[in-house]
Amino acid sequence: MRYLKFLLFYGLMFLCNQALVAQDYYVYVAAESDDEVSLIHFDGETGKGNIAETIEVGTWPQENEGPHGLTVSPDGKHWFVSIAHGQPYGKLWKYETGTNEFVEEVELGMFPATMDISASTGLLYVVNFNLHGDMEPSTVSVIDPESMMRLADIETGIMPHGSRVNDEGTRQYHVSMMTDELMEINTKTLEVQRRLKLSENGSQSMHASSNMDHSGMKRSEVHHPKPVEKPTWADPHPTKPLVYVAGNGSDEIIVIDTKKWEITNRWDTGKAPYNLEVSHDGKLLVVTYKGEGATGVWDLESGKELAKIKNSRKVSHGVAISADNKYAFISVEGIGGEPGSVDIINLEKLERVDVVETGKQAGGIIFWKQENLD
Amino acid sequence: MKKLLALAAVLLLWGTAGVFAQSESTDSMKIEIEPDPVSLQVGSELQLKATLMSAEGEALPDTILFYSRNGGDLEVSRTGYLKANKPGTYNVIALRSGPRDQRVVKRFDVEVPYPPIAAVKFINKPANVYTGTTVNLSVDVIDEMDLIRENPELSISSSNSDVASVSHGKLIALKEGSATITATSEGKSTTWNVNVKKNPATAIEIGNTETTILTGDVVHFEAVAKSSGGSSVNVPITYSYVAQPDDNLGQAAEAQVSQKGKFVANLPGVYTLIAKSGSAVGQQVIRVNQRDVAKDLEVVGHGEVLDVHTSDLWVWEGVDGRDYAITGTWGANGDAYFWDVTDPANMHTIDTVRVDARTVNDVKISEDGKVGILTREGASNRKNGIVILDVSDPHNVSVISEYTEGLTGGVHNAFIYEGHVYAVNNGRRYDIINIEDPANPETVGRFELDTPGHAIHDVWIEDGIAYSSNWSDGVVAVDIGSQNSELADAGGSPANPVKLGSYTYPSGWNHAAFPFKSESTGDFYVIAGDEAFPYGLPSRDNPVGAAGWIHFVKFDGWDNPEEVARYQVPEAGTHNFWVVGDTLYIAYYNAGLRIVDISGELMGNLYDQGREIARFAPNHPDAIVPNAPFTWGPQPYKGHIFVSDWNSGIWALKLKENPQQASN
Repeated sequence: MRYLKFLLFYGLMFLCNQALVAQDYYVYVAAESDDEVSLIHFDGETGKGNIAETIEVGTWPQENEGPHGLTVSPDGKHWFVSIAHGQPYGKLWKYETGTNEFVEEVELGMFPATMDISASTGLLYVVNFNLHGDMEPSTVSVIDPESMMRLADIETGIMPHGSRVNDEGTRQYHVSMMTDELMEINTKTLEVQRRLKLSENGSQSMHASSNMDHSGMKRSEVHHPKPVEKPTWADPHPTKPLVYVAGNGSDEIIVIDTKKWEITNRWDTGKAPYNLEVSHDGKLLVVTYKGEGATGVWDLESGKELAKIKNSRKVSHGVAISADNKYAFISVEGIGGEPGSVDIINLEKLERVDVVETGKQAGGIIFWKQENLD
Repeated sequence: MKKLLALAAVLLLWGTAGVFAQSESTDSMKIEIEPDPVSLQVGSELQLKATLMSAEGEALPDTILFYSRNGGDLEVSRTGYLKANKPGTYNVIALRSGPRDQRVVKRFDVEVPYPPIAAVKFINKPANVYTGTTVNLSVDVIDEMDLIRENPELSISSSNSDVASVSHGKLIALKEGSATITATSEGKSTTWNVNVKKNPATAIEIGNTETTILTGDVVHFEAVAKSSGGSSVNVPITYSYVAQPDDNLGQAAEAQVSQKGKFVANLPGVYTLIAKSGSAVGQQVIRVNQRDVAKDLEVVGHGEVLDVHTSDLWVWEGVDGRDYAITGTWGANGDAYFWDVTDPANMHTIDTVRVDARTVNDVKISEDGKVGILTREGASNRKNGIVILDVSDPHNVSVISEYTEGLTGGVHNAFIYEGHVYAVNNGRRYDIINIEDPANPETVGRFELDTPGHAIHDVWIEDGIAYSSNWSDGVVAVDIGSQNSELADAGGSPANPVKLGSYTYPSGWNHAAFPFKSESTGDFYVIAGDEAFPYGLPSRDNPVGAAGWIHFVKFDGWDNPEEVARYQVPEAGTHNFWVVGDTLYIAYYNAGLRIVDISGELMGNLYDQGREIARFAPNHPDAIVPNAPFTWGPQPYKGHIFVSDWNSGIWALKLKENPQQASN
């Protein structure tokens, strides 16, 4: 009995301490104009971050290949990076976490960008952003991340971006930037299940962009309505039937009820919201304002911006939130030869606590893990 | 008591669990596919049955979905319905979706065997087979889908090896008589009844009159087979040589002979040229002397750029009559540097233009010296395109306009020709932009191939013909306004580019293209350059990393390209190059600048033939990668050779006229 009490006491003490013990946090960030990915370590006790390791990616020294999107497999054993430029197609590269050893690659479409892995199918869904200029429908490539076999290319809108899968793993959401649409893919059937026009005059524009018969026209003759919202990101809420979209062109967050498949709210934001992420507890929304070099933290219950935090440099890009919801890691591109950075924001104090400089044009960012300090 | 212990244990386990630690119970379940193995014939269909099985072997009711990447070759529905359209082995995934601890995946192959062979055929059979000659045997193996089988298992035999033997795909005609040649593949056979005739040739006359030549000179045998009566006879002739090089101390190949009757020597010495048909043999002894073209190369000046990588260059005569250069920068601040190079020994920067970019990969100046173009990559707003400059006064360069329409992904290379910019989009084409009003540029045309997965890297224009380099699609010539050109007049214009011809080669490394009309022979070539890095990325620790060579593609009409020669420096790789007269200037990355004599007919590897005039490695101890040449681009200009080097900036060089060695 004494042994039991001892065990219970220390067990409970251990659990209580879990919340108090400082953590080590790790995120991967891609420097798009330096063809490298950096593993960022952040010490929750000291509040200081550093680059733990930098991994060069790409095979052509005289061609900027542009690592853009990142994700980590659900078991945390591998990370994936999309390489935007190729001949002409981009690629998905797979690495082992920890060792950061290259594992395998597979060819994708034009300028592959953001990606996510479904918790249900285990498949990886990556949008082919194709920002080369032609206003033509692109695709979402579906990859088996185990075998690195490309299974399908699902035709979607023009310049798709912001691939995120809901927590159940059943639906992938992304936006079609140049047609102002939110797209929903059924992760099992690999079909675009629904598309929602995000502009105020949605129905008319949607007809023009999506259903018009262009078969008799040359590609260059196809004129799409100019996008208004220019959505750049979509992230579903972890528990509620909601998706949040960054309206990069309209300076707003657009809230979509996925049950009704309609817009329920539009929140005015800072200039040019670009990426966003809902905290894992569903309480906060962290949004980068690319146009003003700042990050907004929103309370989702009230729909109010709690804080707008200046970033360390211009061109704010991506968001990754730690598993314990305490920190947001913001990638900031910078301009020209300026280094990129990861700005680390304490989400409880709503303040920037550290900046880790990276290679040029820090973009894709993904949270890997957190560990107790020894 | 037990409950308390269990609770404590659970609490401890929970507390020590990592963020990603999850149970994996799916090991106990599996998917069974029927039939197993899966095989179906081309053209047939099959419904697979998939069953989820528990660890105890019990079939569980659940939905299994199927996925495959095989597209039209093997159609796979989500429910496992297969339709085979092409032979091969295909990977298919069966998935029971769900959370990770409930997900079950089975990866399996579907075999679609090749259809049975329907026919075997000899092709390209010669009308006559003569004693003492060899015939290449060509056989088509055709399956029941009427498709020619690639790399079939094939055996060929002769019924009478004393008359005609078969070895490694060649028939050797030994003596007069008949033999039946049989080709067999997967049980199907065909025969060819060969009647070997007496070779009428009794003598071979070699018509070549050049009996003292230089290394690298191409000799045509001009061999003619003669009958005993002295008349010419049409029989196969084979060509060879015997070498007696001046230096025989473990030399490599001394020369090369083609079965089209051409010979070129790499080394000086005495050679016996041999032409043979049956027992008739003709011989000719020739003397080959060293091609003494080497010259000293003087370093005249160096414009140091030691803090950022330097990309391309362009040198031009300004409207004020002085000489200027522009260089780009790579992976840096978006700068382009302007240099006064009137005195190449004292090159100095006179202006810098900074644009929103990380890389200004290419720089070009218009023919009149008034307008410049910068290509942009890494713009902060992701609208890259080109920047048009007023360079009338290179001391005070100003931006006239930016143009990004259709070019947002990044422009890697560009060329200016007669008021138009040919801008290579980082994707797949070049856009043709009218800049006659440089403040209001307008896209008037574009050229794009229609091959699967096509890509493009660079474009160069001469005499109204655009020569693009297209990686695996090789070099492509396009008429964009070649009226009255001796090479083409296909009615092309900037708004209506018309493809003339193309040439591809297997490596897919084509990175640059340059036209070359030989002053000495009149032959026309498109010179194709590679870019490849099979040895890893160059870095401070690994400065050597490039591979590839220069391909000489001779065009005898646009429909008849033939790759006839190369210039290949071992352990190095090419980048940009330039031709003036019959001299080739190559920026050979880690091998520095190479200047090569390309006069006369070209055959074989020019590197081995003593055709190199000079070389220069732009080493610098304070370069970004110290003492590691990584030469980007050359430009011969007014008696000097200007070279940009990725690690060290711009260099000015001059060939000295004094030969290093006496000529033969």
